[in-house]
Amino acid sequence: MRQKVIVFYQAVSMAVPMAINMASSNDNILTSGGGFKALLGGSLCLFSAALSPAHATQVSVHKNETSGLLTWTAEDKGFQIELIQLLPDFIRAIYKKHNFPDAEVERAASYCVFGTILKNTSNQQMSYRVKDWRYRAKNDDGSYGKALPVKTKTQWLEEWRKAGVTFSWTLLPDEGEFAVGDWQQGFTTVKLPREAEFDLIYRWQLDGVEHEGVLEGLKCAPEQLDLPAVK
Amino acid sequence: MKKISSIVITLVCSGLLLITANVHADWQQPELSYNLTPLKTPIPSADFELLNMDEEKVKLSDYRGKVVLLNFWATWCPPCIREMPSMEHLHQQVDADDFKVIAVNQMEDIDQVFAFTGQLEVDPTFTIVFDTTSEVSQAYAVRGLPTTYLLDKKGNIRYRAVGGREFNHPEVVKIINQLIEE
Repeated sequence: MRQKVIVFYQAVSMAVPMAINMASSNDNILTSGGGFKALLGGSLCLFSAALSPAHATQVSVHKNETSGLLTWTAEDKGFQIELIQLLPDFIRAIYKKHNFPDAEVERAASYCVFGTILKNTSNQQMSYRVKDWRYRAKNDDGSYGKALPVKTKTQWLEEWRKAGVTFSWTLLPDEGEFAVGDWQQGFTTVKLPREAEFDLIYRWQLDGVEHEGVLEGLKCAPEQLDLPAVK
Repeated sequence: MKKISSIVITLVCSGLLLITANVHADWQQPELSYNLTPLKTPIPSADFELLNMDEEKVKLSDYRGKVVLLNFWATWCPPCIREMPSMEHLHQQVDADDFKVIAVNQMEDIDQVFAFTGQLEVDPTFTIVFDTTSEVSQAYAVRGLPTTYLLDKKGNIRYRAVGGREFNHPEVVKIINQLIEE
């Protein structure tokens, strides 16, 4: 089943979506994170219903009002996926911290990277394989290109190994077997330029049954935040 | 001098990471659950010997006779950070004669973790050890962080949790007490 994503700035023209201000709950989350203090202000989250009334798939796009960065969340048939735009500087900071060679730091930062959170929201066994996932980039004329495989952790690790890097974390694991309540996170990477738009086609298995979802209109993060100047 | 430089570099990198992480603070959204998955068949845990924060050797098998919460984590992992206070509360709550919390850090060093723990609201007093090559996590088939195992008094893995948890939840404490009473 395709899942319809309605990007925040398009939502005003949509009849169904309702805007829900989640600022207070978001702040609670931030302050509960130990060293991560709540720096970000309110946030806006827009929900849309699924296209099919039989399955009320909830898809949301959340724009952080301070940073402008977007988060997409979709949930269907026991599988919740959340994609969070990450700035290249964040990727650089992560890998510099782990003493990656400069060339590898820049190579990782040149990718379109999303923080990805996967969660089993069912009462059954859930699994996924990144090698089953595809993305298709949006062309300048609005058409979409060929569906290409999402780069896997194994592929990254092989490249890092050749560059002398032994660090093996941060990327979304290639596969996951999730029991009830399990969840996982890591970086998902696609080879697209800054602010490129694309769809992500993802698959998962719930109790052995294969499912597919599409997140449409995802957008790579910009090179830098366009924050207002502090006076 | 080299040590001081290392600490300064660590602090600068941690600061940079915190600044950028704050921009990406949404990265820690999911609620922490408290489900632990029981293994159908208990698996004997792989023994290991790693250095702790005081650069002393810690051997897992030395804790046979205690229930052990074995947590794999890293400082850059937001859910690892979020669940840490609950691990500390659990550590304080359950009798140390019966229970041990061991947090196995992945591929970082003492300076990095020392700088990190200084920024936490709750200072961890449980044991932190350093798996600098991730050999131990590989032995435990850890695919992502955090992953946590609950070991019984014989050293068998009895429960597993992938992703952050609220470890001081009464349901988790109940399971631990059941394992202690076995």
